Amino acid sequence: MIAEEPRVDATRVTELAQSLETELARLIVGQKALLRDTVIALTAGGHVLLEGVPGLGKTVLVRSLGQTLSMSFSRIQFTPDLMPADIVGTNIIGDTDGRREFHYQAGPIFANLVLADEINRATPKTQSALLEAMQERTVTVGTQTRPLPSPFFVLATQNPIELEGTYPLPEAQLDRFFFKILVPFPSEGDLLEIARRTTGDSTPQLKSVADAGAILTAQRTAREVPIAEHVLRYAARLVSATHPDRSELDSVRRYVRWGASPRGLQTLVLAGKVRALLEGRYNVAFDDLNSVAQPALRHRIFLQFEAEADGITADRIISEILEHTAKEPASK
Amino acid sequence: MSSLEAIVRELRKAARRALGARYAAHALVGAVAWVAAVMILVRLVPFERRAELAVLGIPVALAIAAAAWLIRRPSAALLMAMADIRLGLKERLSTAWERRAESGPLDDAQRHDAVQHAARASLPAAFPVRVNRGEATLVAILAIFALALALLPNPMDQVLAQRQADRVSQARAAKAVADAKKKIADSGKPSPKDAQIQKILQDAQAKIHEADSPRKALESITPAEQQLQKLADPGTPALQSSAQNLANALSGTAAGRSAAQAISTNPAKGAQSVRDLASQLQSLSPKDREELAKALAKASQQAQNSQMRDSLSKASSSLQSGDAASAAQALNDVASQLDSLQEQENTDQAVAAAINGLEAARQGLAAQADRDANGQGGQANAGASPSAGASGNGNGNGTGNGTGNGNGNGTGNGTGTGGTGGTGGTGSNGSGTGSGSGAASTERIYVPGQPVPGQSENDPTPLGPGQDVPLSPYTQVIEAYQQAALDATDQSLIPGSERDLVREYFSQLGEPRAAK
Repeated sequence: MIAEEPRVDATRVTELAQSLETELARLIVGQKALLRDTVIALTAGGHVLLEGVPGLGKTVLVRSLGQTLSMSFSRIQFTPDLMPADIVGTNIIGDTDGRREFHYQAGPIFANLVLADEINRATPKTQSALLEAMQERTVTVGTQTRPLPSPFFVLATQNPIELEGTYPLPEAQLDRFFFKILVPFPSEGDLLEIARRTTGDSTPQLKSVADAGAILTAQRTAREVPIAEHVLRYAARLVSATHPDRSELDSVRRYVRWGASPRGLQTLVLAGKVRALLEGRYNVAFDDLNSVAQPALRHRIFLQFEAEADGITADRIISEILEHTAKEPASK
Repeated sequence: MSSLEAIVRELRKAARRALGARYAAHALVGAVAWVAAVMILVRLVPFERRAELAVLGIPVALAIAAAAWLIRRPSAALLMAMADIRLGLKERLSTAWERRAESGPLDDAQRHDAVQHAARASLPAAFPVRVNRGEATLVAILAIFALALALLPNPMDQVLAQRQADRVSQARAAKAVADAKKKIADSGKPSPKDAQIQKILQDAQAKIHEADSPRKALESITPAEQQLQKLADPGTPALQSSAQNLANALSGTAAGRSAAQAISTNPAKGAQSVRDLASQLQSLSPKDREELAKALAKASQQAQNSQMRDSLSKASSSLQSGDAASAAQALNDVASQLDSLQEQENTDQAVAAAINGLEAARQGLAAQADRDANGQGGQANAGASPSAGASGNGNGNGTGNGTGNGNGNGTGNGTGTGGTGGTGGTGSNGSGTGSGSGAASTERIYVPGQPVPGQSENDPTPLGPGQDVPLSPYTQVIEAYQQAALDATDQSLIPGSERDLVREYFSQLGEPRAAK
């Protein structure tokens, strides 16, 4: 029903996002930033890499999202022996009217919401199968290419500890994630609330607040949000400042090996547009860009070994860039 | 659209007010900084019109600020962006203004949203009129600094006072020269060389006026004096002596007594009187002719001028031989030479007056140059009056005919030359009768304002009628000059290494006389 609304009705997008956040918050305690960033990525049509220690509710979040969106949901547990065919599907021999022939058996990736749990535990070959599907939004098995359902939203999780026997995602594949969201450990108050909500005789049942059509409409609407030229230039300066050969910051020149790609700029602007809508605004502000800069750029900045030795993180570098990049007003 | 333009107008008005206040503050800072800079500058460089220079910066700073305020017109986009930032409008206005002509799906909604938020905000608050605390502090510091500099003693004041004194001194010197020029022009005794004398004085006056310092101005005086001295005829003393001898000789005759008196009074009158005598020769008695012939012969013998001697000799011999016509012709020649003498005397007087003026200028300039050297430029006003030189004590311009010249008069030859010598102190009648032949042993020297040794400085000798520059023999003034020079050697700007040389030179000047 929402999908049939005029695509320029931005208030519907705002309402959709707010209702989605509200519904998820019934089950996910605290983690407002996590919910907001996830909704932004979903509305922008990007995929999310969630990073956090086990037990923080990453899987619950994705499952809850599937429940609130009335969309097909798949969960793939990545293990070292997981094969690409286990994800994208394969051709199997079957009987059809007495004849034996190959039939395509679709994999779990054919869903609107896909949870790739512990993605770094699978081999690079298997990771590549997923990441190719994320980028192309199609799957090729044998000689036939099949489109994935739309919307197609992958939430991958990875554990920053227990790195033994894992395969860290290469830089090029990390770049395909719209956001990398860090899942923080809940506060003491949130922990108490989690205990209250999940140890009783019943758990909250989430209701569907949107469907695929509404999400697609929201995605199209978000792209229509105007952005002023000087705000766009600011976004470009932010991305440019992540490059050691262009930045004036000593920390960037010293600790950064590679800066964010143009895809980082696209992510920054698109996420800014969605955030503006979520804030009930029809234009992108500097604040929108600043707000989404961390999840949009942290996995696109690759640090030197010296940074790790000095305890410098990408988030810290981004914070410095945000602090020192001038918000020059319009000049014409 | 119209709402956006109304927003722009309101923002522009507020921005103009804020900018006006800011530029006024900038102008104030600039003006005070200028004044402080001038105060510093005038302590490093001597500058006379410091107040005018300091005040000049204030309107200039205000004008620059006003011009900048008028010229600078922030663009609407800039105003909108500034308002966005300062009013927390989240780039609503700048986006709406930038896309005011766009018709995208969300542009109308965005513009409406921007206008709504702008209506709730106080737009003038985006450009508040306020004084920058840093600028106010800077103005206060600079003002105190400038005031302190203005009140504290300035080491350049002394330099400026010296410059002023230099200028005054040079102006007085130039005026002394100008006075001399005027005096020569107004003398009523024109000479053929008046034009040259005026030209020399004119040049000297210009150089004195344009010189950088009194010392430089002094350098132009000596060449001028040398040029003037070249204009004086060296044969004048001999001719004067001859004329005086003629007068003396004729005074003893009945026929020539009136001519003698006229010659003593004035060569021009003497010439006319001699012509009258020549025309009366025919009517003279034989006794008078004989008496006149003897007087002329005596005068001829005493004459130092060859032409005069020849003419007198011819007149004498013609009279004795009874040739009155030839005698009359010879006397007319004598009259012509007396006319020539009158012209030479006029020239000499003009030259003397000119040199007198230059010397007056020299005295003032030299005094100021010495004060400059001693760092006492500020006392220039106490310097010698230029008229002091002009009023010279008049040591006479006697020709010093012979060694028997009167003391300080030097007019010699009996009757003296009070009329022309102006040798105050010894009367107008020279008592000396010296008729020695030592004319060459004396030298004419101009001694304006310099007393003869033994003569009181406070008792200036009055000049004779029509007398500008009295003359004194060299031998009478050399000691005073020598002493003055030796004294000056100890006080003037002479390097130590050169001082002995100068002292030796002046010491030697007196030796010939001492040897005598």
